Amino acid sequence: MDAKEPNLLQDTYPYSLPPLIRFERPVVEYIDGKAVEFDFGAVKDRNILISDTTFRDGQQARPPYTIDQMVRIYDLMSRLGGPNGVIRQTEFFLYTKNDRETLDQCRALGHKYPECTGWIRALKGDFRLVKEAGLKETGVLTSCSDYHIFQKSKFRSRAECMDRYCEVVEAAFAEGVRPRCHLEDVTRADIDGFVLPFVDRLMEMSSQVPDELSVKIRLCDTMGFGISYPGAELPRSIPKLIYKLNQECDVPSDRLEWHGHNDFHKVHTNGGTAWLYGCDVVNTTLFGFGERTGNPPLEGAIFEYIALKGDLCGIDTMAITELADYMRSIGLPIPDNYPFVGRSFNTTRAGIHADGLRRDEQIYNIFDTEKLLNRPPRVAITDKSGTDGVVHWVNEFFGLKGEDRINKIKIHKLARWVIDQYDEHDRLTAISDQELEAKVKELMPDYWEKYKGSLK
Amino acid sequence: MATVEERVKEVTAQVLKLNPDEIKLEDSFTADLGAESVQSIELVAMFEEEFGIEMDEDAALSVETVGKAVEFIAQVCEEQGVDVEQ
Repeated sequence: MDAKEPNLLQDTYPYSLPPLIRFERPVVEYIDGKAVEFDFGAVKDRNILISDTTFRDGQQARPPYTIDQMVRIYDLMSRLGGPNGVIRQTEFFLYTKNDRETLDQCRALGHKYPECTGWIRALKGDFRLVKEAGLKETGVLTSCSDYHIFQKSKFRSRAECMDRYCEVVEAAFAEGVRPRCHLEDVTRADIDGFVLPFVDRLMEMSSQVPDELSVKIRLCDTMGFGISYPGAELPRSIPKLIYKLNQECDVPSDRLEWHGHNDFHKVHTNGGTAWLYGCDVVNTTLFGFGERTGNPPLEGAIFEYIALKGDLCGIDTMAITELADYMRSIGLPIPDNYPFVGRSFNTTRAGIHADGLRRDEQIYNIFDTEKLLNRPPRVAITDKSGTDGVVHWVNEFFGLKGEDRINKIKIHKLARWVIDQYDEHDRLTAISDQELEAKVKELMPDYWEKYKGSLK
Repeated sequence: MATVEERVKEVTAQVLKLNPDEIKLEDSFTADLGAESVQSIELVAMFEEEFGIEMDEDAALSVETVGKAVEFIAQVCEEQGVDVEQ
């Protein structure tokens, strides 16, 4: 159909927020031959949350952070999650003096969220550490695939393994600490033969203690084998895993958590899938940094959360950029093309795209990245940039908007210099901001004098 | 004083590295004289400098031939009070 006015689909692409994720109707998954409906739209009203393991899983993939670094990261993470505690919890090792000192200093900041929890092995003696640290909850490693039960932990039988795990859970109850059972390697486990009976037993044990001690279940996709596709088989099917625990073992959604790994590039979508199928909490790390290929990226989960909720919900997305700058400053490498925080995540190189940006930044920018991340869209200058790319760079460099923007005619000397770099000097690399800045001073001295005070 | 046409042809020849005598009023800057994208911008910038005028970017860049450029520049000069030889 012809139209005289554009339809920019702003119900879905509001620009002031990331594109919203909207659902039409329930989806159907066949489980044990039975059609089961899942109403994804209900996620908007569910109390879904993010948890964090930057200091535990995230730290297993790098040299240790210093105490000061962790306190700074925790502080920024609290700002990011906002007063509603969208980032509800983060977990700490408790084994060394530095571990415990870090925990104390983070708590001394006085933030309500993220709540601090611990992480220990499935050893009864380790609860002393949790208790001494004054924590209300701790993760407990309860690996559940036979790879772990027999090959790694050398149990003689599943029954022996389950008994040992349950003894540890009893010890947690006795210490007044809520155990969060980490079902390690669940996507490679015998679901009917071990996982469901174990979780049934945990729920039975939980029914004997006050609610605040009842067991939480973390589904750990340790090797990234989880699959989001409808129709996939157990144990790899995330929908079926969550349904079985939620509906057959009666683990409430708010006591279910998904912990993924990125070995097959599925980590972010798998986390979102867990939310949709009834697991309230997705466990993440900052910038996805974690064991081997990493975990669901916290900042990705944040934008997924906003997209599902259609609202910022108190989240301060600006803190993401500050966290990235801080992580870079302490030596964490973030690839230039990494979403939301890489140096070039919203940088376009093609001149024809730069022309689009010049006309309306929404054409080639995913959302208002300046408002939400303090990162206006940029162009990188190469032989493909053309005069449109150069003029966009200059305007962005000086921070000029609307009527103040310089037109292409005024930058012709700079555009000529750029083109000659490639046509006359056979250059093969992109031109750096520093080179362009020097050339702006030389070739556009009037503009330099006029606007240099506005440079960030 | 040279006419607008002569000055336009002189600037065009200089920017596009051509002989001014070979430039005709009906010549298209791009199709006949071979102006590339950046040269179109340079032409507008040089016309502004030559005549001491400011031209609207989109309007100036939409001018296709030398003859139309002469007319456009003469009109802008008149609007901006710049004396030129017709």
